[in-house]
Amino acid sequence: MKLDLSALLPDSIRPKAPIDAALDDVHLPGPTGANFPLPDVADVDSFERQVVEMVKPSHGTTTLSFIFQGGVIVAVDSRASMGPYISSQTVKKVIEINPYLLGTMAGGAADCQFWQRNLGIQCRLHELNNKERISVAGASKLLANTLFSYRGMGLSMGTMVAGWDHKGPSLYYVDSEAQRIKGERFSVGSGSVFAMGILDQGYRWDLSDEEARELGRRAIYHATFRDAMSGGTVSVYHVTKDGWVKVSGDDVGELHYHYYPAE
Amino acid sequence: MSIMSYNGSAIIAMVGKDCVAICSDLRFGVQHQTLATDFKKIFKINDECYVGLSGLGSDMQTLRQRFVFRHNLYKLREDRNMKPSTFANMVSAVLYEKRFGPYFCEPVIAGLEPDGTPYITGMDLLGAMAPASDFVVAGDNTESLFGACESFWRPDMNPEELFETISQCLLSGVNRDCLAGWGGVVTVITKDGQFTRSLKGRMD
Amino acid sequence: MIDDAGVHVILTSIHNSPLALFCITFFTTGNFVLFLRFNYLGSTMDCLFGISGDGFVVIGADTSANQSIVRMKTGEDKICELDQYKLMGAVGDGGDRVQFTEFVKANLSLYAFRNGVPLSTHAAANYTRGELATALRKGPYNCNLLVAGIDDGQPSLYFLDYLATLHKMNCAAHGYCAMFMNSLFDKHWVPGMSVEEVMKLVDLGIAEVRARLVVAPPNFLIKIVDKDGVRVLAERKTATEN
Repeated sequence: MKLDLSALLPDSIRPKAPIDAALDDVHLPGPTGANFPLPDVADVDSFERQVVEMVKPSHGTTTLSFIFQGGVIVAVDSRASMGPYISSQTVKKVIEINPYLLGTMAGGAADCQFWQRNLGIQCRLHELNNKERISVAGASKLLANTLFSYRGMGLSMGTMVAGWDHKGPSLYYVDSEAQRIKGERFSVGSGSVFAMGILDQGYRWDLSDEEARELGRRAIYHATFRDAMSGGTVSVYHVTKDGWVKVSGDDVGELHYHYYPAE
Repeated sequence: MSIMSYNGSAIIAMVGKDCVAICSDLRFGVQHQTLATDFKKIFKINDECYVGLSGLGSDMQTLRQRFVFRHNLYKLREDRNMKPSTFANMVSAVLYEKRFGPYFCEPVIAGLEPDGTPYITGMDLLGAMAPASDFVVAGDNTESLFGACESFWRPDMNPEELFETISQCLLSGVNRDCLAGWGGVVTVITKDGQFTRSLKGRMD
Repeated sequence: MIDDAGVHVILTSIHNSPLALFCITFFTTGNFVLFLRFNYLGSTMDCLFGISGDGFVVIGADTSANQSIVRMKTGEDKICELDQYKLMGAVGDGGDRVQFTEFVKANLSLYAFRNGVPLSTHAAANYTRGELATALRKGPYNCNLLVAGIDDGQPSLYFLDYLATLHKMNCAAHGYCAMFMNSLFDKHWVPGMSVEEVMKLVDLGIAEVRARLVVAPPNFLIKIVDKDGVRVLAERKTATEN
């Protein structure tokens, strides 16, 4: 079965689903509703804890990012799993913070989505206050500061903040322990060990744009092959001085037979 | 992590008109790491009987050897092949022998009885038989396999239809399973012989 | 009083109740899970890999013998020469590794002595698997193995883990280093590689492990088996032996 890749399109060019338009008219009960139904169990708290444990997405992911002469490459897979069950093959793991900044998602999906959206807000406020775009260093520091204030409270994130600012291409790794590292190449997630091998061996600063994009794609592909918890599609983004573009989104089901044609 | 899903597996057996099919995925992994993609989990016992073993890879190999050994002894003594129902009872006995330290394998047996009627049965790891007249699934994600089989199976399929159905069921089933897939292998048994084909699947 | 009907009811209730079966299953798997976890950590720090090429197989292993956080020795040979045309790499708990490889080697020698012909690599690998599988439910040997050999000029490499799962492979690796090496093998291995090409791949793998694995071992020993028999092919050292 062909994967429906529309969920992976950048937000800017993604068609608005009819459901979104329809939702405008829906009247949702406000938070003050006195009849908010509670689950019919004896111990609500422990039940809620169990539910959270059950629906928490497991951490199968491969994401990578590296900087080179032509900018920054960000490549990710798109699988979400609950235990051994594949809950989605088309999860968007690149978060488009603004036209010059990308974030990647590994760990808790909700944590990553929420806090990187929050980072988008902080970056926009910085722009309005200072009449210039925030640097990647600044943006990643804002995220690290936020995460530092929540340390020990159970957030789970391993994210890369990649972008282009006045100093050129730049890349930071920020995680929920509030560790923030500047670097030239990172890979995060359960499949990162597999991707790292390909990335280290193929990496040079002076890669051409096309070589760099292929390196990112190939490294994620190899991780999806070896790591059971990674798969779906390989999305490659490229950040240049003009902002990011999504370069490709390939279904791994087809990509494998592109690299290794079946006899 | 359960032992039954330590290596990853998916197996289906299905009944058609005067034919049966059995298939497995090809992944061999250790937990999340895929180590090989040519690990067949269905084994030929004789022309009219195949067994599929899901669960722990090591016990799959041990059990296959024990089943073949017992089948060979039967052939020497009786000068004929075991029929699938007899073979299933033997498998059940072999499994229950280890009641208090079981083999971590759930077998699926498929074959044609001497009168040509299809026979399939599943079994739990202690040897409790669950014969079926439509299909049997085993592995670490039986929910997905069941869903596909429930939707696609219909009575009295001919060998080619059966092959197509079991293949689609296996592929769509393992596409929702992290620990199984990476291609598949299908054998269809008819009274005129068997054919085995390998399936191209998603390799992630 | 149990009459026929009573017995029947009990039997069918066990058969039909998934819960009853689940309880049994869970109870009996419980013990096994424990020693499965206990085992698994033992051999993951060690590094063992094998690559087959055109008429030869190369097996590489680290040479560290560790005790707690101390590296007791950096010149330990973990690749046993079973006979003139067979290698067996083994990593895992120190005692188990040595005991098991010596046991297999002695029995293969005995077989060859008694029968005048040695076992083929395929047969030796299956014999080894059988011993490991039998031991698994008594007192398991905590070691992961690679068995390689040449039969009539044809190379073969078998992967064998401590649970006694045997599988023939072109390239194989065990432990944490497998994670870093396997994707490199996937990308670079092709059928019919020469010794030089395979050694380049080995060096790529070792470089990756040293660069990325926190607990990377310092020294590696690489052996080869080809039509001329088994021998040491290369060493890769960053620490002096002690």
